[in-house]
Amino acid sequence: MSKKKALSIITLFVLIIGLVLSGCSSSNESNGGKKSGDGKIHLKFMHDWPQGSSSAYFNLVKEIIKDYEAENKDVVIDVEVLNPDQYRDKIKVLAASNELPDVGLTWSNGFAEPYAKGGQFAPLDDIIKKDFQDQFVPGTVESYSFDGKSYALPMEMNITYVFYNKEIFKKYNLEEPKTFADLKKIGETLSKNGIIPATVGSKDGWPASMWFMYLADRIGGPTILTDVIQGKVKMTDPDIVKAAEEIQNLVDSGFFVKGNTAFSNDDAKGYFLNEQAAMFLTATWELPNFTTSPDTSQEFKDKVGYFKFPIVEGGKGTDSNSYVGGPGLGAFVAEKSQHKDQAKDFAAYLVKEWGKRSVESAGILPATKVNTEGLDVHPMYIDVLNDINNATNVTTWFDTQATPNVSELHHDLITALYGKQVTPEEFAKQHDNALAEEAAEK
Amino acid sequence: MKNVMSNKTVIALYVLPALFLVLFLIYIPMILTGYYGLMKWDGVGEMKFIGLDNYIKLVQDKLFWESTWHSILLGLFSVLSLIGYLIVSLVLASKIKGANIFRKIYIIPMLLSSVAIAQLWIKIFDPMNGLINSFLTSIGVENVPLWLADPEIALYAIFIPIVWQYAGFYIIIIYAALVNVPEELIEAARIDGANAFQIAYKIKVPLISGVLKVLVILAIVGSLKYFDLIYVMTGGGPGHATEVMASYMYKEAFGKYNFGYGSAIGFGLLVISMVATWTIQKLMKTKEDN
Amino acid sequence: MNPNELTTKSTKLTPKTGYTSLLKKIGMVILYLVLIVVALVQLYPLIWLFQLSLKTNQEVFGMSPFALPQDPQWDNYIDAWTTGGINNYFLNSVWYTIVAVILTLILGSFVTFAVTRMEWKLKGFVLALFMAAYMIPLHSTLIPLFNIFNKVNLIDNPLSIIISYTTFNLPITIMILLGFYQSLPREIEEAAVMDGCSVHRIFFQITIPMTAPVLSTTAIINMIYNWNEFVFVNTFISSEKWKTITVGVNNFVGQYLTDWGAIGATLVISILPILLVYLFLSDRIIEGLAAGSVKG
Repeated sequence: MSKKKALSIITLFVLIIGLVLSGCSSSNESNGGKKSGDGKIHLKFMHDWPQGSSSAYFNLVKEIIKDYEAENKDVVIDVEVLNPDQYRDKIKVLAASNELPDVGLTWSNGFAEPYAKGGQFAPLDDIIKKDFQDQFVPGTVESYSFDGKSYALPMEMNITYVFYNKEIFKKYNLEEPKTFADLKKIGETLSKNGIIPATVGSKDGWPASMWFMYLADRIGGPTILTDVIQGKVKMTDPDIVKAAEEIQNLVDSGFFVKGNTAFSNDDAKGYFLNEQAAMFLTATWELPNFTTSPDTSQEFKDKVGYFKFPIVEGGKGTDSNSYVGGPGLGAFVAEKSQHKDQAKDFAAYLVKEWGKRSVESAGILPATKVNTEGLDVHPMYIDVLNDINNATNVTTWFDTQATPNVSELHHDLITALYGKQVTPEEFAKQHDNALAEEAAEK
Repeated sequence: MKNVMSNKTVIALYVLPALFLVLFLIYIPMILTGYYGLMKWDGVGEMKFIGLDNYIKLVQDKLFWESTWHSILLGLFSVLSLIGYLIVSLVLASKIKGANIFRKIYIIPMLLSSVAIAQLWIKIFDPMNGLINSFLTSIGVENVPLWLADPEIALYAIFIPIVWQYAGFYIIIIYAALVNVPEELIEAARIDGANAFQIAYKIKVPLISGVLKVLVILAIVGSLKYFDLIYVMTGGGPGHATEVMASYMYKEAFGKYNFGYGSAIGFGLLVISMVATWTIQKLMKTKEDN
Repeated sequence: MNPNELTTKSTKLTPKTGYTSLLKKIGMVILYLVLIVVALVQLYPLIWLFQLSLKTNQEVFGMSPFALPQDPQWDNYIDAWTTGGINNYFLNSVWYTIVAVILTLILGSFVTFAVTRMEWKLKGFVLALFMAAYMIPLHSTLIPLFNIFNKVNLIDNPLSIIISYTTFNLPITIMILLGFYQSLPREIEEAAVMDGCSVHRIFFQITIPMTAPVLSTTAIINMIYNWNEFVFVNTFISSEKWKTITVGVNNFVGQYLTDWGAIGATLVISILPILLVYLFLSDRIIEGLAAGSVKG
């Protein structure tokens, strides 16, 4: 290679690096929505409900888009669908390049925070005020609000129950537990008879964390974990440590399926579906699987019941109408969208129609209020919707409330707690350290 | 000879296209990785220059060194498994009946995507319904191992599918090298009275040593940056027991939104890979000289 | 292995007595038994995948994962083809893979030839550049690459995928080729130079045919990588019409539900073409050699 050539390569190289660097830090122009040859406004919309795995969601969205396009002849919605894992990664890469789609979906709290504060999401208070006055389930919009502004329109609202196999319970003369002691007794009876009392996927962290969150709610009171996030209470609070201890007691007594630290939520669910395990603590997004989905047999569906997480004797949380749950996905509009108003209009339409149709056509609980009267659905939905209306408190999942950093740590620590690789004290301490570190940075 | 084979235009024509691609698509990201490592950046909002802070944190990060050690262990296992692959390839390349069919079958797992392999092995390792433990229970073993759920053995358990996944890759390369060995040399040795073992050990293996050395490097570097099955099967857990450098980096950058620190880990991985490659090359050189 | 041991063994074996030939026979039987067992183990994943593809989701979870499907669900294949969108993705996978493999092999051969056969100062350095390029972890590249492709307007353009596949396979391809080029006899090329052949003729008419076995090998490896890749596709492509078959697999993965039967079917459909091409190329590994040695 001659020197000249080498030199020109190096120059070009440096130039391109410069170009890329400048692109990441300052480029503000976006091609999010461009007017292309057909003279129509093209809005990019990304969601994470692939047809293969979430056909009810996929079809509902598709229907709504079709209706929107019919009502707005000059708008075309270009949809991109990815599965949830890939969706998370791609949103991240797109944001780093200031290329978010005009409209997309975001998880609440910790996930949305960097995007909202980083100026990627547009504040939506105007349309919330205009189109959604008193429409959302209380507390849901707040999950997407930062520094007094709201950045997404909530679409899902889930709460968590212990689902159980009625037939197994009947066989061993068991009744829905009222107290945690009852629950433990049920566990003993079942394991004595060779039945796995409960299945849990603690590899993923979040499913296993629900047990911990409920125990913390029942032992330390409904607000305790939210208080931890807000810095009012420490994770090393004796009540929280006690909750972690109870988890390990359950592990020791063989309450959970063996080897659960290697199970994803899906793997764990398998043990409930094949009736090797009697209980499965999960959220209402599973309702279609237990009521209407053609993928599960009617025989099994008839066996599924649910109960509220029982009260812990002597604990501060004395109300079983206090739930762990929260909004799942909400619709955001990109701040850098070229057709922000049109995008807002579409997002509002989507969420509104979603709220109207989702329960009946897809079995999804929306974050907008649902009138149960005259609703043509499986009775379990009516029960659940009534529960939501009568809920005294819904604590948003701890890992959702936390920043991504603490959330990931929490998942790792939960797995370690179930695997008995950490003591309850270390478990609490490590959370505190991370939380303190974050507080110091702010 | 010299004139034709040192024609600058030809060299440029042959090398530059590939070099351009690699410089732009691999070296720019590499340099940027090092650069992002100097930043406090969540990947979404504003970047903030913080000097060497991330790198200092990296050097003191116990978890990073733990995951590095796991990656190195994987590298060692992969290199050891090369011996097995060499033996298999020698058998397949010898002229036994049916070798052709065996070779074709042996490489099949390599065609499968990681999604399938991960799912298969999750089912094999399942502590209750899995293939291994069902078998162990049926022959009366009571305390069956929990495999991926047991932090003591999870790392070694997960090496098995990884090493198995790559068997086809190495066998097919070694095999191609072996069939490249000139027939005359083998014939000559046979006439001299050498048996199959001697021919393999004294003629075939030395002749393909160039390829074997490359494979050692590929095995080690490939292991150091390995990600796929670990991420799908254990996610680095339980409790970081199977965490490797690449999974740790991914979790920091994409999971925790510490893109700056994640990049520092990525850069650390690069440096470690380069040091490892350089060391191996030196080691293999001296061996040759002796 | 100790070479002395081998020699003593061989001296024992040389006299052809009935005893040793019996030993030899037993040895062969054991060898074949081992070979067959390993072959079954290696074949099993395909069989497992096939039975997975015929199960309902409840069976996948409910029964032993290794049990045969009770009521074969051929619908899974229809699902995979239509719902999974494989019918759209299939051709993309085919042509991305083919173009990228050819590009990688040509460019890789060029470089390896220049580095091992030609004389120039910087060749050691350039080779090191290619080798070090193998070391970058995939996830470090995504954000910078997206930026680069975005700048040159290649986002949502199949070129970005082909270029990425080609580039990211170059280092490993060059390294594999390198080992072979080094052990390849130089005499023929030297003779050709004496005869006044041009470099291009030597490269295309002597070196490429001589390296056909390893080219088939690297073609197989490249092909498998490209065929199964999905991170680049998901990151750089957003239109359905440009996505590849691996996206079809991921269409069946959801947050709360994964349809394993359909994934199995998609995987079976997607493995068939590369299985066939693999079997075809696999024979070229040997044939190529024959062709090369005839020329020699």
